[in-house]
Amino acid sequence: MLLGAVEQIRENHARLSELDSFGGDGDHGTTMLRAMENLKNSVASSESGQVKKLLGEVAWAVMGTDGGATGPLFGSFFMGMSNGAGRGETLDCAALASMFEAGLECVCKRTKAQVGDKTIMDAMIPAVKEVRLAADEGLGIAAILEKAAEAARKGADSTKDLQPRLGRAKNAAEQSLGHEDPGAVSVSLIFKGFMKGALNDGG
Amino acid sequence: MTMKKFLNDPSDLVGELLSGFALAHADKVKLTENNLVVRARPKHEDKVALVTLGGSGHEPALSGYVGEGMLDISVPGEIFAAPGPPKLVEALRMANRPAGVLLIVLNHDGDVMSAKMAMEMAEQEGLNVRQILTHEDISTGPRDKPQERRGLVGCLAVIKAAGAAAEQGASLDECCRIANRMERNMATLAVAVTSATHPCTGDAISEIPQADMVIGMGQHGERGSAQTELKTAHETAEIMLDMLIDDLSVKKGEDVLLMINGVGSTTLMEQYVVLNSCKKILDSKKINMVRCTAGEFLTVQEMGGFQMFMARMDSELVKLWDAPCKCPCMAT
Repeated sequence: MLLGAVEQIRENHARLSELDSFGGDGDHGTTMLRAMENLKNSVASSESGQVKKLLGEVAWAVMGTDGGATGPLFGSFFMGMSNGAGRGETLDCAALASMFEAGLECVCKRTKAQVGDKTIMDAMIPAVKEVRLAADEGLGIAAILEKAAEAARKGADSTKDLQPRLGRAKNAAEQSLGHEDPGAVSVSLIFKGFMKGALNDGG
Repeated sequence: MTMKKFLNDPSDLVGELLSGFALAHADKVKLTENNLVVRARPKHEDKVALVTLGGSGHEPALSGYVGEGMLDISVPGEIFAAPGPPKLVEALRMANRPAGVLLIVLNHDGDVMSAKMAMEMAEQEGLNVRQILTHEDISTGPRDKPQERRGLVGCLAVIKAAGAAAEQGASLDECCRIANRMERNMATLAVAVTSATHPCTGDAISEIPQADMVIGMGQHGERGSAQTELKTAHETAEIMLDMLIDDLSVKKGEDVLLMINGVGSTTLMEQYVVLNSCKKILDSKKINMVRCTAGEFLTVQEMGGFQMFMARMDSELVKLWDAPCKCPCMAT
């Protein structure tokens, strides 16, 4: 599941950097790629089959990415997921939802951003909400992640018409109109990767 | 246009630049295994240590200010991007001592976030660290909303004043007091005429029409607040000085430090011409330019333009500014 996210970012990093150039310094794709390489290495070197421990190691690796706010924010997401995960080696649907909610909560501690501020939250908040809804409906993991990926994509699309109110991009508010927020697109790619990863390996 | 920079592997750019930097200044600094820049000869443990963090690509900032009377450790990030919290925590652990550690953070979202998380971890571990945020860019927010102001070259004055105090044996409280006083009394405004290229992506980080200049452009090419046709050095200095004086409410007869920071391709010649204009204008306003300097202190690759820094000075701050220091890229 995690490695699916790595693939998605790798395929799309040039587009992420291009989106960043409208409101930032054009390196978001490079940074995300570096974060995902760190993620991949930490998964490869992890000796634990325990979800909680693996996510903790992943969080620390992503957080250690030198990339402005990107490392801490995405690292916090995984750190929160680790805090919210049980001690087992597999996940059921309710546990998956709790885990994502804990991830979101941890990111909320780091930023005041809400839906509408043209940030990662525009994709992350609806995606996590969707995970909970779908889990409560009793859907399976792949179906839950499919719904979440769709919600994240819609959220990322919606940032096109928004003006940034937070983060470095707010200093170039008008230039970014008509373009999606690169961070939100990254979130949607990560959820898409989770979905594809879950379809492939179920874990 | 293809980027014309002398580079090797972009993915190892920061590692290569830091190794070269350490070679060039081996008498003053060294590089740790995990790319922290530390003093070649550590400061005595009973003196307060100064640590800072920041993205690379702004050379000589910030690692060029590691040395006697200045910083103890600089934590460099990737190009234009703050280092992550784990690296910073490591630096704080390394610097930790009974006298305490002062962490100087420039107000940019990534740096602030890394610092906040690192400070939380430092607190859990019982490290003796205090933090000061520099935010003096008057173009991004009013004085009463400092959180909206970016940290530009002013961090250097804070490092210089607090670093000198620490070297003289001042307590952590005292160092914080001095750093805060300098921070409250300083203001910076940037002007840009040409863009910089991101050395990893090869793309321009902003676009400025050929005949224009942008007042208020940040050090990552974030678009500024006012775009106008290019003016003379004197006219530009007049506009910028008026804004700085107004922001700091500097009165006739007061003393100021003025710093012209070339950000990349604006020549030293132009910086001197601007500085000379500033002196004439300040004289006419009966404001005393008690200290001044010009040079490349914090750059943005080959961006054209400069940052104009002003600080209201008192006798104690002047003494600290004059105190000796030995670091790679600044001498007093």
